[in-house]
Amino acid sequence: MRKKQKQKIVLPPELPPEVPDDEIQVSDEDLQFVDQNRDYAGFVSNLDTKSITKHVTRVADVKDDALESMYERRLRKKSADKDKEEDEVEVDPVDALPVKTLDGKLYYRTVPSAAKKSETEATAASEDNGTATPMVKLTKAEKRAKQKKLRKEAKKQVKETAQSDEVRQAPQSEVLDEVKKELTAEEANEKKKYRLAELGTALLVDPESNIKSLREMLQIAKDGDHSIVILGLKSLLAVFKDILPGYRIRLPTEKEQQMLVSKAVKKTRLYESTLLTAYKAFVQKLIALEEQAVYKRVAMRCICTLLEAVPHFNFRDNLLVAVVKGISSQDDVVRKLCCATVKSLFEHEGKHGGEATVEAVKMIAELVKVHNCQLHPDSIDVFMSLSFDEDLGKPESSEVDNKTKMKNSKKKRKLVEPNKLPASENKRSRQEIISKTREEVKADYKAASFAQDVAERRRMQSDTLSAVFQTFFRILKHAMQSLASSMGESFSLPLLAPCLNGIGKFSHLIDLDFMADLMNYLRKLAGAGSQKNDSHHLTVSERLQCCIVAFKVMKNNLEALNVDLQEFFVQLYGLILEYRPGRDKGEVLAEALKIMLCDDRQHDTQRAAAFVKRLATFSLSFGSAESMAALVTLRHLLHKNAKCRNLLENDAGGGSVSGGIAKYNPYATDPGLSGALASVLWELNLLTKHYHPAVSTMASSISTMNTVGNQVSHSNISPQQAFVQLSHEHESFIPASNTKKTSNKRKKGCSLSFPISSASKDELMTLADENAVRNKLSEHFLILDNIVENERLRTELYCTNMSLKLCEQYRKQKKRIR
Amino acid sequence: MRPLDENETTQVFEKLFKFVGSNLKNIVENPSHEGPDPNPGRYCFRLQKNRVYYVSESLVKRATNIKRENLVSLGTQIGKFTKTGKFQLTIQSLNLLAANAKHKVWLKPTSEMSFLYGNNVLKGGLGRITENINPNDGVVVFSMSDMPLGFGVAAKSTQDCRKMDPNGIVVIHQADIGEYLRMEDEL
Repeated sequence: MRKKQKQKIVLPPELPPEVPDDEIQVSDEDLQFVDQNRDYAGFVSNLDTKSITKHVTRVADVKDDALESMYERRLRKKSADKDKEEDEVEVDPVDALPVKTLDGKLYYRTVPSAAKKSETEATAASEDNGTATPMVKLTKAEKRAKQKKLRKEAKKQVKETAQSDEVRQAPQSEVLDEVKKELTAEEANEKKKYRLAELGTALLVDPESNIKSLREMLQIAKDGDHSIVILGLKSLLAVFKDILPGYRIRLPTEKEQQMLVSKAVKKTRLYESTLLTAYKAFVQKLIALEEQAVYKRVAMRCICTLLEAVPHFNFRDNLLVAVVKGISSQDDVVRKLCCATVKSLFEHEGKHGGEATVEAVKMIAELVKVHNCQLHPDSIDVFMSLSFDEDLGKPESSEVDNKTKMKNSKKKRKLVEPNKLPASENKRSRQEIISKTREEVKADYKAASFAQDVAERRRMQSDTLSAVFQTFFRILKHAMQSLASSMGESFSLPLLAPCLNGIGKFSHLIDLDFMADLMNYLRKLAGAGSQKNDSHHLTVSERLQCCIVAFKVMKNNLEALNVDLQEFFVQLYGLILEYRPGRDKGEVLAEALKIMLCDDRQHDTQRAAAFVKRLATFSLSFGSAESMAALVTLRHLLHKNAKCRNLLENDAGGGSVSGGIAKYNPYATDPGLSGALASVLWELNLLTKHYHPAVSTMASSISTMNTVGNQVSHSNISPQQAFVQLSHEHESFIPASNTKKTSNKRKKGCSLSFPISSASKDELMTLADENAVRNKLSEHFLILDNIVENERLRTELYCTNMSLKLCEQYRKQKKRIR
Repeated sequence: MRPLDENETTQVFEKLFKFVGSNLKNIVENPSHEGPDPNPGRYCFRLQKNRVYYVSESLVKRATNIKRENLVSLGTQIGKFTKTGKFQLTIQSLNLLAANAKHKVWLKPTSEMSFLYGNNVLKGGLGRITENINPNDGVVVFSMSDMPLGFGVAAKSTQDCRKMDPNGIVVIHQADIGEYLRMEDEL
């Protein structure tokens, strides 16, 4: 009995007939079962009868006597209208709710028996409605809508009947509303959650038959409650992610709809259209919710997941718009999410055939344009994950081949056809038919085949590329303009760094026609800080990056013509001095050294010497990582330019060797005019005493380069590697522990033996020192202890002596007295 | 021997500016360590028999001792005024230009000889070229081992050079060190 009650908790007070306990007959089997399984039955004893009854007679706020009267009236009704009994039972409390007037009196609605008959239909309808609430758990909005509809229907039906009925109907619906409001919010929410789960699983199990319930889920998601909306969105997302087909749905045109179709087709069409409308509503809702601060993240996450999962599907544009908008959002979470989505979109082009890439890139370009380049750097960083198929350039030639082939074949055909003219007309028409069908088949195959048209893909790629470079150039131009316009004013160029990165990455794809302008801009940007006005607009890293990008662009495009980027060398020459370890990125500097000085094939002797000298100066003044990078570059330069090794000689050169400039000018801005050949690399001598063994060995190996002659040993370590190595090591560096490195170097030549031995000696020294210090300290403290002890003993001795003397004196005095 | 008048100075400087650009300042302000003076003097331009010389001040002072018609040469000749009154750089100025050049072209070893015979520099002979050369800029020509060979005028910009065919002229010849042999008498 009680179990039964519990199950029906949800149902409004359909109370079981009151049966006294002693009348209940318990079968022997049941008793046996309970005896055997005490555990199962345990909950029965724990049941909270009170709360259960409360739940069952849920019209809780009503006073007891009211309840009583309600039940009474129910009984009366039962007797009056037996065939409608069940419905009546369920709806009764609803019907019978008292109306409270302003002065506080309660009026119980008494149903006149005359109107009853005519009203039954209407009540039945509203009863349905009432009973439906717990069963189907519609959202409030829908309920209300349904109510209205029902009310209208009811009105129509009751039109003939007396007007008093209508008057009474209005209060009835009001009463219904009130009842619904009385349902506590939590219960409703719980119900909705369960409902969501049920619908979702049902949809996943069999989407075709349950497709209609999408609408209901959407309704639930429109709920006013925060958590319910979020849950609704999430479950809808999960469902859509699963059931959306792998193709784009095209709704049938009117003409198609008019055509007769089989049942299966009709069914599919219905399914698709329902799915599509639901999806559309969902997307619209997401985009609308995305505007609200509360739902922003959830909505964005949904949008991103959808776009990532089904980029091929309808309404991709709307999703893309939202995602691209979020790419430069202030909110870190949203921005990261959007960027990740766009990146994955770029990386998995196969999913959507590249169309989404083109659209996204174009949108980003537009975004940059609209915001006048004031965006978060992340928004441009996404371009880095674009990939362009370089082989696509090849089909052009093959196409040309095709064309020529076609021409050839046409010619051949022309040649052939005249021969065939004499053949019978029949044959020719048959041949035409054959060729026609062949073409048709080919076209069909093309349409059906999964592989994309190469030309189409190329078109899309070039679209993407042009949009990307449009963005890049816009940023560069904007940087230039702001440099020119605002003298001294501070402004930010957030997009410049990622833009330069991007240009560096895609430099091989730049059209040669843009090259001149690009180099021009880069040159100006690289020199932006070096002008005499003190406002250094661009950071050193950015300017270094400009140089690097220029070199990359040149290297990638100009295999044929070896262009000397003199002005960038001038910039680098100045920038080396402006570098500050904390402020600027050492990696960028190392990269610049690598690309500009190590990779470049030839150098002027003057320039190389100037760089050698400057790098040596540089390595004296900065940390071990920077100086190591500089030294590696220096060695490379010296290795390549035999003339520069004059710098290693001990006497200040000059004369014919040093060219036109007789004296080293450390303040020259142009490396070619510094006259560095006239100087001596005394820095190396200091560097051999560097605290870092790697640096000191490197310095000594360089300084012995000349005497050893054309040393072949030339490690291929790049400045970048050296920098990274030492900067990583820096954290865990202990001056005497770098034996691994030195042993590496040992292989290179006997000339290196000196620093190694010195290093190891140092090591031993420090070890020995430690022991000695320990010994000495212990000795010292021992002595101190002894002294203290000594003093104590002495004072004691003194005291006893004194007392002894006193004692003797006393005795003497005593004797005298006697 | 006399200093250049205003017209001549502008002509000389304009010509030099084509080759060295802003480095012209270096040429003018270059301190000279010649002579007994402890303070370094400067270099200046002097005209003698239609030829322009780049001379240190101390040398100019001492050269005043010699009669004008007896003075054959002093300092470094950098050019001469033609009979029509135009200024022309001569090959002796090469050292000065090479040290301060803005635009440089390096020749492949195979085409060095052709240039030294007085021919123009073709695209095919180009070993290396400074970026950002514009047409009509003065260009100093080097061998691949950084030895100055001569100078000329750019016919094409660096950008255009890329698209040219190998037989196109990149630098129009003006002077080369072969002239020391070929035109020994005229120099």
